[in-house]
Amino acid sequence: MLRTIIAGLKARTARLVLSSVAIALGVAFVTGTLVLGDGMSESLRDEFAKGARNVDASVTLDRSSSSSSSDSSDGPTGISPEMLAKIRQTPGVAGADPRDFQQVPLLASNGKAKPAMAVPLASNEKLREFDVVDGRYPTAADEIAVDKRTATTAKLTIGQPVVLLGKDDKRLTFTLVGTYQQGTNSVSLSGGDHIGLTPEAFQALQPDQLPYEVVATAAPGVTQQQLVDNIRNAVGAGFQVQTGEEVTRQTMAQVSSQAGEFTTVLLAFALIALVVAAMVIYNTFTILVAQRTRELALMRCVGASRGQVFRGVLAEALVMGLTASVIGLFGGIGVSALLQRVIFSFDGGEGVVRLPVSGTTVLAAFAVGTLVTVLAAVLPARKATRVAPVAALRSQPDSGEEVARTGVLRVLTAVLFGVIGVGAIVFGMGIDDEETAMVVSGAGTMALLAMVLVLGPLLVGPVNRVLGALPRALFGVPAKLASANAGRNPKRTAATTAALMIGVTIVALVTVVANSAKETANAEIDQRMPADYTVSSVVYDRPLPKELAAQLAAVPEVAKVAPTTVVYGERAYFTGIPRDAIGDLFRPTVTSGSLADLGDGTVAVNAEYAKRQNVSVGSTVEVAPQEGTPQRLKVVAVVEGQRLSDGIMTLETSLRFPQAVEGYDSILVKLKDGVANGRAAVEKVTDPSPLAVLDSAAETKEQLNQQLNQVLAFIWALIGLAVVIALFGIANTLTLSVLERTRESALLRALGLTRGQLRLMLVVESVLMAMMGAALGLLLGVGFGWVITQALSTDTMAVDLVVPFGQIGVMLAGAVAAAVLAAALPARRAARTSVVAGMAEA
Amino acid sequence: MSALVSDVGTRTAVAAANLVKVYGKGDTAVRALDGVSVAFTAGRFTAIMGPSGSGKSTLMHCLAGLDNVDGGNVHVGGTEITSLADKELTKLRRDRVGFVFQAFNLLPTLTAEANILLGLELAGRKPDREWFDTIVDVLGLRDRLKHKPTELSGGQQQRVACARALVARPDVVFADEPTGNLDSRSGAEVLDFLRMSVRKLGQTVIMVTHDPVAASYADRVVLLADGHLAGEIDNPTADSVLSALKHLGA
Ligand SMILES: Nc1ncnc2c1ncn2[C@@H]1O[C@H](COP(=O)(O)OP(=O)(O)O)[C@@H](O)[C@H]1O
Ligand SMILES: [Mg+2]
Repeated sequence: MLRTIIAGLKARTARLVLSSVAIALGVAFVTGTLVLGDGMSESLRDEFAKGARNVDASVTLDRSSSSSSSDSSDGPTGISPEMLAKIRQTPGVAGADPRDFQQVPLLASNGKAKPAMAVPLASNEKLREFDVVDGRYPTAADEIAVDKRTATTAKLTIGQPVVLLGKDDKRLTFTLVGTYQQGTNSVSLSGGDHIGLTPEAFQALQPDQLPYEVVATAAPGVTQQQLVDNIRNAVGAGFQVQTGEEVTRQTMAQVSSQAGEFTTVLLAFALIALVVAAMVIYNTFTILVAQRTRELALMRCVGASRGQVFRGVLAEALVMGLTASVIGLFGGIGVSALLQRVIFSFDGGEGVVRLPVSGTTVLAAFAVGTLVTVLAAVLPARKATRVAPVAALRSQPDSGEEVARTGVLRVLTAVLFGVIGVGAIVFGMGIDDEETAMVVSGAGTMALLAMVLVLGPLLVGPVNRVLGALPRALFGVPAKLASANAGRNPKRTAATTAALMIGVTIVALVTVVANSAKETANAEIDQRMPADYTVSSVVYDRPLPKELAAQLAAVPEVAKVAPTTVVYGERAYFTGIPRDAIGDLFRPTVTSGSLADLGDGTVAVNAEYAKRQNVSVGSTVEVAPQEGTPQRLKVVAVVEGQRLSDGIMTLETSLRFPQAVEGYDSILVKLKDGVANGRAAVEKVTDPSPLAVLDSAAETKEQLNQQLNQVLAFIWALIGLAVVIALFGIANTLTLSVLERTRESALLRALGLTRGQLRLMLVVESVLMAMMGAALGLLLGVGFGWVITQALSTDTMAVDLVVPFGQIGVMLAGAVAAAVLAAALPARRAARTSVVAGMAEA
Repeated sequence: MSALVSDVGTRTAVAAANLVKVYGKGDTAVRALDGVSVAFTAGRFTAIMGPSGSGKSTLMHCLAGLDNVDGGNVHVGGTEITSLADKELTKLRRDRVGFVFQAFNLLPTLTAEANILLGLELAGRKPDREWFDTIVDVLGLRDRLKHKPTELSGGQQQRVACARALVARPDVVFADEPTGNLDSRSGAEVLDFLRMSVRKLGQTVIMVTHDPVAASYADRVVLLADGHLAGEIDNPTADSVLSALKHLGA
């Protein structure tokens, strides 16, 4: 038996290699994902290990006891310098340093500020979190060190001055003394700049901000527990003192769950790729067994038992699965290395490519590659055992037997899926919470997808007739033959195209939803920004100087300016805007009440906020800012369509809150009609201000669209793999079909079909199959996209369905091109076979 | 009818001169055809006979332009075909040659009618409806036209193949063991039709067979042995063919 199996594998090498590629790609994706996830958490852990090294005790505010007894406004917000001094003097403490961070504007060479993350660098050498790359750590208050990448992007060299914007935009000049390596963490991945100062200089930036943590290292011979006990005694109540080990444990748990989330997202895509690969494998084995009916029957004739035939087919799958798993495993490691390089290149800096291959990964690779292959082969193998020995005696290998017996069971299953799907969609749309609604409706759409998959063989006929019409009209006989071939075995065609259909459905769904969201956001920006330009601050938390508004108003090209302020309450924020700008530069839709009543001490709230807080026109809301006294404001209107904030008030009202007094959040600028070069005129004013940046609605949209496009590109790339596997499936089926039809091709050639026409016939067949998958997938994807946008729509915000015809066109063109490519090899082979050789084929 | 058969014995439909066909190379080379020269007259039914492996199919393939030759030349209706490129050969087969093979003559995806008209469609020619009806009626296929090949008996399938070969009015019809897979009654029907198409419709038919009874339907038998021409019989009967074969030592 073994010898027969090996002989069989040898004889069908080409076909098996093709199928193996599909499996290997699936395995590569799964292992690549796992290795990447492991690598990321390893690097996060290493990063944390740097922060935790030599930390024997950590002191933080005890939130649980302080928040209950006193209001947040009068309790301590951090660890005071006195407390730090106390800790430093505690017996057993060899050194202690604060841990903190804050955003500080860093002045780039063009005079414009950009936000940088500043941290205090430990004075105690043992407690330093970063490794110096060049130069040294700052020791004096006027010295600074920057992250290596920041030095590169901001073009800073050691010895040069570095300017930060302190309070009230005071320029603070430091001397750059060194660069350090930050490694991979959330800050470095976000691509922001990173700078380090001495603790004293850091404290001077924001004297009233106190560090959230103080870490201490123990003197020789002092255990972590002893140190913690000593510190606890010294600092008294209101602080949480933990050993370094405890902190490490807690943070590790957080780190792995962070890395885990990313891996989960990738694994979801890997799962799709896997399902598609499994379908391709299943289909391949079904065809292989069908084609070998005679051979298997002959084996039965010469005395092979059913079990032997079954085991023979399974053994073949096993060999194939194992080989593909090994290839896929190594491929996956390569994919992961590649992805990390891509991430690093976005990042700008170089990082260490980590490729940890855990036991789980290896197990997953083999489980996926081997198990899926063997499982996919079980059904065809069972079919093989049912081959009657007499089949060997039939002259024509009859793979037509697998032609759809579209049983009642199939229809019933489809109906079941349909009912579940429609039910879930209708139910989901009724749910208020957007996220839950999307998940429930999304699950419903997947049930509908399953329904279409089950119905597949029944759909092939009609869909083929419709899609075949155009090529038949264009190419005549070869296309007619191709269409007949595509429809001759509905089960096979359905299984082949289903893989592509799944991929295209998901791509189309994501694309439609993303574009709908984009359009909705764009429409909102248009509504929100009737002004020509918005001047805002580059650094969050750093308001614009008030003189800027007056300067802008004085520009001859400017018709009107409207400064806005922002007021943060508890879990809500409000916009302050001049009375005369409301309804002009700022025009929300009023659902109840009237904006005319918006005067001193009143507020117009967003419909969403009104719903959340259960307030309406006439009620009073209390706005409690972080600093200053709470204010009670009367609601005079409910507005919607603008999601700028939870509500609007007049500029004067907003000045009751200390934050709003500091400066403006933004300044809306409207130009006079028909002025040319308005932008230049405005820039003349904003350019000297380091914080001010000019935005127009168009630019904001552009930015937003770019971000969305990036996400979309990422998803296209991920699903792309599933699509590639699906196309391999088409190439696979086509190759097997061509082999099966060698005699037919020869007959056609004898009757006068030219080589070119034969090739054309196969290309058209391939395109027809791809189109069946792509067209159905697009139809489903757009439909599902509509469902999701409906689910996402709320009373206050309707997400309009936008069908991106351009992108859909690209997808269809891509499918056609790929199908032509998939047909290339089989077509070449078919056309090369001579008529006589083809006729001689059994 | 007399007009149709007027050039019997005068015009050559297919001719081969010094035909050589070698399979393989070196020690294992087989000279399947070793200098065969033979001519087939238009409007006649010729059978090529010989023992198994004597080169019958090879000769037919070379005559029909299905296979290239290693020496000599072939004329079909006055055209020298051994120097033609694949495109021209394809066109020749489309327009001037009809085929009936032993099996797998029909495309399983097409109905009987579509199979019959396939060659014409490939050539982009309009079928002559009257001629089509004549053939279909003679072959008794009228009520089978809408059936797929799997729904037809072996004999019916071969009759559909014959109809396809004749509907384009080719210069010559080649048939390779057309009755090889049929029972004797179905075989006789097919052979009757081939003979009738020659006698009444003026068709030229060249048929390969190893069956003396089948050969007896022909006007003339060409005998082949080991790639050589080994004799001819005019107006053969089953007995005369059988004794000629015995003579060859088959
Ligand atoms: N494709 C081929 N390769 C090698 N030898 C062949 C091939 N086809 C036929 N032959 C050999 O050529 C000879 C003639 O074959 P063929 O014409 O098929 O004989 P017939 O049809 O009379 O039985 C035989 O010896 C056969 O083995
Ligand atoms: Mg033969």
